[in-house]
Amino acid sequence: MIEESTRIGSRELAVRARLNVLRMLEATPAGHVGGAMSCIDAVAVLYDAILNVDPERLDDPDRDRFLLSAGHKALAQYAVLAECGFFEKDLLDTYGRENTALGGHPDMHKLPGIEGNTGALGHGLALGSGMALGLRRRASSAKVYVLLGDGELAEGSNWEAAAIAAHYGIDTLTALVDVNGMQISGTTAEVMDMENIAAKFDAFGWRTVEVDGQDHAALYDALVNVPSGGVPTAIIMRTIKGAGIPAIEGTVGSHYWKPSRDELDAAIAVLSDQLTER
Amino acid sequence: MEQQTVDPRKTFGATISALAETMPDVVVLSTDSGKSSGFGEFAAANPDRYFEVGIAEQAATGIAAGLATTGAIPVLCAIAPFVTSRNFEFFRNDVGYMAQNVKIVGRNGGFTYSELGSTHHSLEDYALIGSIPGVTILAPGDAGEMRAACRAMLEHDGPVYMRIGAGPIPDGEEREFTIGKGHYETRGDDVTVITTGYTSVAVREAVAELRAGGLGVELISMPTVTPIDAEIILESVQKTGMVVTVEEHYEFGGLGSRVADVVSAAGIGRLHKIAVDQKNQPSSTYDDLLQRNGLDARGIADSIMRFAQTR
Repeated sequence: MIEESTRIGSRELAVRARLNVLRMLEATPAGHVGGAMSCIDAVAVLYDAILNVDPERLDDPDRDRFLLSAGHKALAQYAVLAECGFFEKDLLDTYGRENTALGGHPDMHKLPGIEGNTGALGHGLALGSGMALGLRRRASSAKVYVLLGDGELAEGSNWEAAAIAAHYGIDTLTALVDVNGMQISGTTAEVMDMENIAAKFDAFGWRTVEVDGQDHAALYDALVNVPSGGVPTAIIMRTIKGAGIPAIEGTVGSHYWKPSRDELDAAIAVLSDQLTER
Repeated sequence: MEQQTVDPRKTFGATISALAETMPDVVVLSTDSGKSSGFGEFAAANPDRYFEVGIAEQAATGIAAGLATTGAIPVLCAIAPFVTSRNFEFFRNDVGYMAQNVKIVGRNGGFTYSELGSTHHSLEDYALIGSIPGVTILAPGDAGEMRAACRAMLEHDGPVYMRIGAGPIPDGEEREFTIGKGHYETRGDDVTVITTGYTSVAVREAVAELRAGGLGVELISMPTVTPIDAEIILESVQKTGMVVTVEEHYEFGGLGSRVADVVSAAGIGRLHKIAVDQKNQPSSTYDDLLQRNGLDARGIADSIMRFAQTR
């Protein structure tokens, strides 16, 4: 958890992080913006108020772990990490450029605060389960949070890990599913309907909660109220793809956005206004 | 005198279990495969260090990598194709790309699950896993070498794949073992023969016969497939000018391909690969599969002799 004195509140953090995403798009105007924007509120709440992770002590064996299983949403994590002091903000201007630490998918060997090299879908839940089992073995109380996409749930390996996490009663593991209802070639209902997601996790032996994934108070409540009852928790977040950028909100096309200069300026203006209003 | 033989899986499980007694970070993962991998006693004695994850090799590999990030040294052993090809992307990304200290062991490698057929044969594991940067590949032969290789594997900081067989292997005490190093078993000037893993048992028999007939065979045992010991290959082939590789693996991407890279880059020698034909192989007895592919002692001796005569 970031020191109380430096906390700016998750709502403002999310606005600043969205602006950081746009700053990265100024360096390279292309990226998985839609999914980054749908999950960025949850990422902001996690780093602002939930995760026990100190950018000055990233080798602390008892730090909480956050894994972005849907690694293509890396823009969201980069944006929040930069805002929370994990690396210099100037690094944002290298996004997508030659030999960058900010590639299209996160790399733990290049960027402080990244816990796993995700990007191929369906890996995070197993990795996170292994981390949680390892932390349990060390008698650590550290928690593990894994953010998944709804389209990603079509990868069968998620369900292998879901069964194992429940079998081992890993109550320090929380999955956050970013249900924006869209994926690269259409709505998830059209491409591969994985609903009812809560019922699926429930059937695998998980505790489930459904929240509005753009509602910071609801996200915070869900995250602080994870019980230690011997079962893992899945927080099903109903979100809007591209949330916060009016031009692309709720569109399949936001998945991989290549904004023009004018589109970027318009998005920056909307978000900058939200900062000044505060 | 008949040499004492042992089951490689039992030797492997017992060796890792014994080493784990003084290496508290070693943990074992099972995909409904632990007992067959020789970990029955370990599981009973160390329930907190033994993770049965069911028949789920993809997740098992990811979980192993996750465990390793917390300082554990996970050992995952199962039937070779299931922990090399079934889970390949998890091996590649979570273990390889993340550079985690995970030990994955494919047992019943090569043809040793003979009559269970192609789904259970493992004839491409060196090729697949060798394509992942930073992964060491070990293939010990007899029990003495296996005991040493197990210790080296656990003490090595980084991802390792080890292939072991199923048929009885000669017993023996743990001996010296350095990852990345081959060693001479016989010296000779006519032809270099390089082998790896449990295949070396048949190769030794073939080489003994050829040497008795007067052929100067220089036999190199290469229990590390990756990284390959280029130094010993060059030293020997510069002298003999002819090299034969023998392995229970498809002819592409295994030991022979690695040796080919070394000798062709140096521009020395001619290579002959004794390996499995690059075609789907039938369900059959182990002996028949070896014979069909010229990998029994008779076939190996004949093939080396024919090649040597082309000098």
